[in-house]
Amino acid sequence: MVGLNSLFKLFRKTFAPKFEGRGFLPRRYYLYRALEALDEDDIDEAVRMITLAGLDKKKSARWRLVCQQVIFRCRILVSVHEKQMDQINTELEIFGKTEDLRNLYLRLQEVERKARDILKNYELQLLEQLSESTASVAQPS
Amino acid sequence: MTQERNLSIPGGLTGALLGLAAELALEEITGMEVVSGLLAVIGAGFGLIRIDRRIYEATVNLVKRVPVEPTSDYRDVIQQIDEMSIELPELRENFVKLIRAGMEAQRA
Repeated sequence: MVGLNSLFKLFRKTFAPKFEGRGFLPRRYYLYRALEALDEDDIDEAVRMITLAGLDKKKSARWRLVCQQVIFRCRILVSVHEKQMDQINTELEIFGKTEDLRNLYLRLQEVERKARDILKNYELQLLEQLSESTASVAQPS
Repeated sequence: MTQERNLSIPGGLTGALLGLAAELALEEITGMEVVSGLLAVIGAGFGLIRIDRRIYEATVNLVKRVPVEPTSDYRDVIQQIDEMSIELPELRENFVKLIRAGMEAQRA
């Protein structure tokens, strides 16, 4: 049992980054990892895994569904950040009387904006991959 | 002829304690979390075999994690899901199935 664990750890630490990054591993492995990342709201990792899982020209129905799940979560998180930006705006108008407070609110707003933009970028990236897969389904080669 | 079984509670406890000590010692020496690592292997293996179930669970989780305002009711949540799933046909279909199943379960 310990031997198996050590082998797994060794694999994850040494070979996995090389194999994972090149997309040599089974597609299901990448989908599993994408779902794991999605559960933890690690969208960056989820997008990376989805991209690796979709390296094949012919994308599976499973891939399409997991890809759509990540897009959906991105949209939810974008809406959360937008609501927070609205909240910060309201508070800025009410409490932002002094220069320090005003700067603090502006910095918070900037952080929220950056987070939203990163998520929107991921969403667009995945939508593009999804539309490519739709196109390949529509035009069988 | 019946076979007598001798179960020793102190023996079991000692075994468990020794196992725990061995696990902690290995973790200290090698820096590897043996039990969690093993669970990760089992989890990954299980996940690869039951990927469809895993996808279904992720769909349920997505619905559960839709933020709900204290003032909103189920129609607001459905509307939000509807807006967020534009251009996502397969996922939308799964959501519809989930919602239908939930409503039927509530009726029954």
